[in-house]
Amino acid sequence: MMAIPDSAIDRGARALVLPTGILLAVLTGAWLAAVARAPVDAGQGIIAKVVFVHPPLAFAAYAGFMLTAIGGALFLWRGDEAWDRLARASAEVGVLFCTLVIVTGPIWAKGAWGRWWSWDPRLTITLLLWFVYLAYLLLRSFTEGNERAARFAAVYGIAGLAVIPLNYFAIKLAGGRAMHPENLRQGSLGAGMGWPFALGALVCLVAFAHLLARRIEVETLRSALAERVARAPRGLEHG
Amino acid sequence: MNTLLAILWKDLVSEWRSRDRVVAMALFSFLVVIVLHFSLPDVDPVEVRRLAPGLLWVAYVFAALLGLNRAFALELENEALSALAMAPADRGFVFLGKAAANFVLLAVVQFATAVVFGLAFALDLVPVAAPLAGIVALGSLGICSVGTLFSAVAVRTRYREVMLPLLILPLLVPVLLGAVSATAALLQGERAPSASIQLLIVTDAVFLVVSFLGFDYVLDE
Repeated sequence: MMAIPDSAIDRGARALVLPTGILLAVLTGAWLAAVARAPVDAGQGIIAKVVFVHPPLAFAAYAGFMLTAIGGALFLWRGDEAWDRLARASAEVGVLFCTLVIVTGPIWAKGAWGRWWSWDPRLTITLLLWFVYLAYLLLRSFTEGNERAARFAAVYGIAGLAVIPLNYFAIKLAGGRAMHPENLRQGSLGAGMGWPFALGALVCLVAFAHLLARRIEVETLRSALAERVARAPRGLEHG
Repeated sequence: MNTLLAILWKDLVSEWRSRDRVVAMALFSFLVVIVLHFSLPDVDPVEVRRLAPGLLWVAYVFAALLGLNRAFALELENEALSALAMAPADRGFVFLGKAAANFVLLAVVQFATAVVFGLAFALDLVPVAAPLAGIVALGSLGICSVGTLFSAVAVRTRYREVMLPLLILPLLVPVLLGAVSATAALLQGERAPSASIQLLIVTDAVFLVVSFLGFDYVLDE
């Protein structure tokens, strides 16, 4: 009988898969309806509706990396592998959202500003975050030994998180011309855009949570299997 | 503290005996400067003065990566990594000793590179030598701290020479931006902006703390 790791995180993840999936389906329906009903921007045209997709994806990407770093730190502190499973899953899901941010951004930028890329602070930091995510995942792949990989990745995750605020000030210092709209003021989105935006943010966070729960579940099963194989008497694999 | 000095002394003495790492770093650095020079044909001196800070730091970062890749090479080749891990000493100070040794070697190479750079790009660096040395020291502190930490990580991975740059280049962005902006001001005959110095100091402090504490988890048997 396989002893499936049973810490709170593993149990929580398994329990959350179905509820988050259902919630995601419902919210996505509501969100798409809201996006369709939202007014088309006079200046930018329909491309401006990317605002309902791009910032929400960015929230999830940054939340993902914070979870990775915190999970790693807790793994180093407590030694419980469940935290490492959380960190790894968060990195894998987060890199997906980060990639989507970097893809949707230029689509919007070309439509709104006429160019695919600029070195404004937010773009640059997100690009650097993407590289840190990828380095994290490569480090995990290329390190021999699961426990060592977990330790190395945890240290790198913490360093990667620490560098984000430093990068923010560094890029401002280097005079990255801000092209991103400064926002987050009440009512700054314009009439009729509040609901689709809020729903978009919810959809992305729930999607992140759903994918994270599924990924942790897979990792839990994989750990259990690896442990079972390691404990197996010789010849069982061929039996 | 004794651990720090012992490791520092060990690394410097073994480097002095063979001098292979510092010579390789220096030659590589000079070649980078020359390649950079060829990459900018027919650039007028004013333009060069604007571009020079960035180019100099590119050469410095490449030299540092080369040196840091070899930071734990002796230990790896002689199977002494376990010894380093099992030594009855605070691993934080083992880290500091290693980082200090890397810093010293890098400083030697950086000095030589600055001379070659000045010659290649017809820049007189002597008037700004002292403040430039200070900026370079601050930058190298950041580079050597995370560099040493992740060198110990990279040495245990596949593709270790590629792994180190992949890991630390995104982390070095604040160091680079601070150092380049400060160097640029110096070369224009102004004082280094305090914002750049503050950025460098804060970044160095954060990196030192993270590396000092993280090294404990990275050095294993």
